[in-house]
Amino acid sequence: MNNGPLLFLGIFFTIAFSWSGIVLTNLVQQTEAGATQPIYDKELEKIVPAPMTGDARQGQAVYADLGCIYCHSQQVRNSLAREGGPSVDVERNYGRRPNVARDYIQDGRVFLGTMRTGPDLRNIGQRQPSVDWHMLHLYNPLITSKDSIMPPFPFLFEEREIVGEPSPKALRLTGEWAPPAGYEVVPTARAEALVAYLLSLRTDYDLPEAPKSVE
Amino acid sequence: MSSAPSLGAAIDPRTKMSQERAELHQIDESTRVLALIFLGTSAVWLLVGTIFALIASWKMHNPELLATQEWLTFGRVRTAHLNTVIYGWATNAGIGVSFWLMARLSRTVLRHAGILYVSGAAWNLAVIVGTFGILRGDGQPVEWLEFPRYVTPLLFVSYALIGVWGIITFRFRRGEHTYVSQWYLLAALFWFPWLYSIAQIMLVFAPTVGVIQALTNWWFAHNVLGLWFTPIGIAASYYFIPKVLGKPIHSYHLSVVGFWALAFFYNWAGVHHLIGGPIPVWVQSAGIVASLMMVIPVIVTAINHHFTVIGSFQQVWNSPTLRFVVFGAMNYSLASLLGSAMALRSVNSVTHFTHFTVGHAHHGMYAFFTMVMFGSIYYMLPRLLRKEWPSAFLINVHFWGTAAGITVYVVALSVGGWIQGMQMNDVKNYPDFLQIMVATKPWLFARTIGGFMIAVGHIAFVASFVWILVKKRTDDEGSPTLFNTPPTLSLKTP
Amino acid sequence: MSAPSKPSHPAGKVSTHQLEQAAASDASITAIHQQLLREKPEPTEGFSPIPIFLLFVFSALIFIGGVYIAHYAGDFEPMAFDPSRGRQVAVAEAPKAVDPMVLGKRLFDQNCAACHQVTGLGVAGSFPPLAGSEWVTGSEERLVRILLHGLSGPIEVEGKTYNGAMPAFGPKSGYRFNDQKIAAVLTYVRNAWGNSAPAITPERVKEIMAAAGERPGPWTGPELDQYK
Repeated sequence: MNNGPLLFLGIFFTIAFSWSGIVLTNLVQQTEAGATQPIYDKELEKIVPAPMTGDARQGQAVYADLGCIYCHSQQVRNSLAREGGPSVDVERNYGRRPNVARDYIQDGRVFLGTMRTGPDLRNIGQRQPSVDWHMLHLYNPLITSKDSIMPPFPFLFEEREIVGEPSPKALRLTGEWAPPAGYEVVPTARAEALVAYLLSLRTDYDLPEAPKSVE
Repeated sequence: MSSAPSLGAAIDPRTKMSQERAELHQIDESTRVLALIFLGTSAVWLLVGTIFALIASWKMHNPELLATQEWLTFGRVRTAHLNTVIYGWATNAGIGVSFWLMARLSRTVLRHAGILYVSGAAWNLAVIVGTFGILRGDGQPVEWLEFPRYVTPLLFVSYALIGVWGIITFRFRRGEHTYVSQWYLLAALFWFPWLYSIAQIMLVFAPTVGVIQALTNWWFAHNVLGLWFTPIGIAASYYFIPKVLGKPIHSYHLSVVGFWALAFFYNWAGVHHLIGGPIPVWVQSAGIVASLMMVIPVIVTAINHHFTVIGSFQQVWNSPTLRFVVFGAMNYSLASLLGSAMALRSVNSVTHFTHFTVGHAHHGMYAFFTMVMFGSIYYMLPRLLRKEWPSAFLINVHFWGTAAGITVYVVALSVGGWIQGMQMNDVKNYPDFLQIMVATKPWLFARTIGGFMIAVGHIAFVASFVWILVKKRTDDEGSPTLFNTPPTLSLKTP
Repeated sequence: MSAPSKPSHPAGKVSTHQLEQAAASDASITAIHQQLLREKPEPTEGFSPIPIFLLFVFSALIFIGGVYIAHYAGDFEPMAFDPSRGRQVAVAEAPKAVDPMVLGKRLFDQNCAACHQVTGLGVAGSFPPLAGSEWVTGSEERLVRILLHGLSGPIEVEGKTYNGAMPAFGPKSGYRFNDQKIAAVLTYVRNAWGNSAPAITPERVKEIMAAAGERPGPWTGPELDQYK
């Protein structure tokens, strides 16, 4: 193959073809099918998927900069069998139904993820709505989850002297985790935003193109 | 196996060999400084990336390590590792080897070297700034594209210039026949700038809507592996194996099939990262089929290499270059075949989201690409510096440290990952996620052991590198540094 | 030209004398050095033909690939995400006789263990233990109400104070547990970790649900005292 121009053409064509097929065609297809637009759910009386609130959006930035995507996926998979059937992810309570493309249109940056060193988080807001739990878990995962290998995030919190009354937001730490007497551990704005984001992660609506949510 | 030609033939300008040698000499002279710069910086990044790797690996089974340091939190140090080894070590080494090969094969001295100087400076500056940015928390949440936005213009300048240089050099090549490595190198130098630019636009500067981001991300990331690193690795293997052995590649026709099959199918394989995900099933199936079809170019390349090497395994074992390159080439076949298997839905349902994938990624990037780069560097440096490698022992330590280390690494993560996947799919017997995670810990620790073995190899490599750079050139350096010098290859006068 | 009169040495040790002789003949060869001298020629390709059987293998692979893609492509629909083609309706859970301990354990592990731990021991200061707790083995009225609407504010469990917020799990909550699930998980916690108390049936849950009615928010400790 000594013909430079022909070689070049072939090289160009192969990448143009794959990009057009994988990216462009799907972009066009999804847009034309209306799947890039939310719909109005009559039963719930709201737009689904709902846009993210401000503090959740800020929390998403914290999620991104701490690299949570490298251990946590955010996609409830379809059935793994070619013939269909129940989804293992749904059985494991990662969500009430598999996720479809439209579920992500309000996300801004999409964090599908590719690892489950930790559990899938797409519906963590549904599975674990306790702010207290999340604060403790982020401060040090070992408090709530025995032998966890998730890194602790003490820098998302502030240990400070109690002046007057203790803060209502102070973490209820006991034993080896408790701060020295007269000190309390409070979440910073970043921690609060992050927890707001995590709590916002819930697929609690149905879509016409998705399988119906299980009970 | 042809022995080195006699001195008479060597310096007789009437012989073709000596003309070729004179040419090669001129070409090597012109590439020397730039090649040393790219290869030298790659070695530095190799060490940096290895340190990040060890920290990240340790944190995965002992998360309390350095836990209070925000800039070293796992999510950032792991990302720093990935970007420094891919864009620091692998790309610098890849560029250095590419243009050295391109110049030699195009039979032209390095033209427009200025372009490459600017490119190299811009690239390394970008990687330095980008790595700090990631540790600081400015990283982009897009896999394989994490460098902060402020670094992007520098990267763009750099790889655009390299792409342009590649095309110009190819255009001015001499000789009637274009060797197979040149096709791969031209393709790689063209594909990479396009991949990176499109990904930057559609994922960072004007993020596209919803899951199209994921499709773009994995089209990009897998193609960096398949259309940038793999072609460079294959080009290097196709050069060094026949070159060191003095035998021709088995079949030109197979090379053609291999090249176009790779170009066509590898492009589509990236979607296999999203099997089972919220993307239309037709594109998932397309990605699966493309990944399976990759066995075609892999078998072709394996046949070509095998039939060239056959009968010369002793020589392969003795030559540092060939030991690394052939190890790499064999693992290219193995990693790719495993990768094709991983794309099957039945296998993917177990391996997706597990450490198995991480093992596979390192199988390709390290056991194939990095080992081929090591072999290439072992060949290039004596020619660029006109000195021999100072210590066969160090090269041995390098080889065994890295070969054994990566084997431990890949096996540990493959077994651990497979178990992890099986357990994750068995909700009845493993309802508690924590127990599944705890079961992976010993395998993660084994991976750290593999990592330390690799690190030892790297230290030996950098030590050799520095030593050959600083040592004085002596006149009676005659024989190459081989592992064992068989009698017929001894070049010392009796 | 250039061949020296001395017998040629194996390429390797080249003395300066020989190089000078060579230099006299052609300027471009003067700087030849050891590494280049031992290099083999630049690589070339042989022209062995492609084995025919390989062509068959590749064609077969491409054919299989084509069939696969045609079969598992969901008609190239943008909304087909499931390989079983088209939209797949989830199978409705048929009411079948289910061992409440088995169902209850699964529900507990997946929904409750994060706070109360798989051991039922809770987390000191934050989440009360269930093992050996009178709150669990005692009044059904109180227990079912906690699950229906949640519990917040300080309570005392086994001599220690806990001040947390347990979410609601009833049919109107995010968890949407029906009477069968509530009955199962409560039966489980009442009989796990050494606890021993009568099972709770779905009918009993329905009774208590009707009696409790709707609530704007979770229960507090004092409010539940009347159901002890």
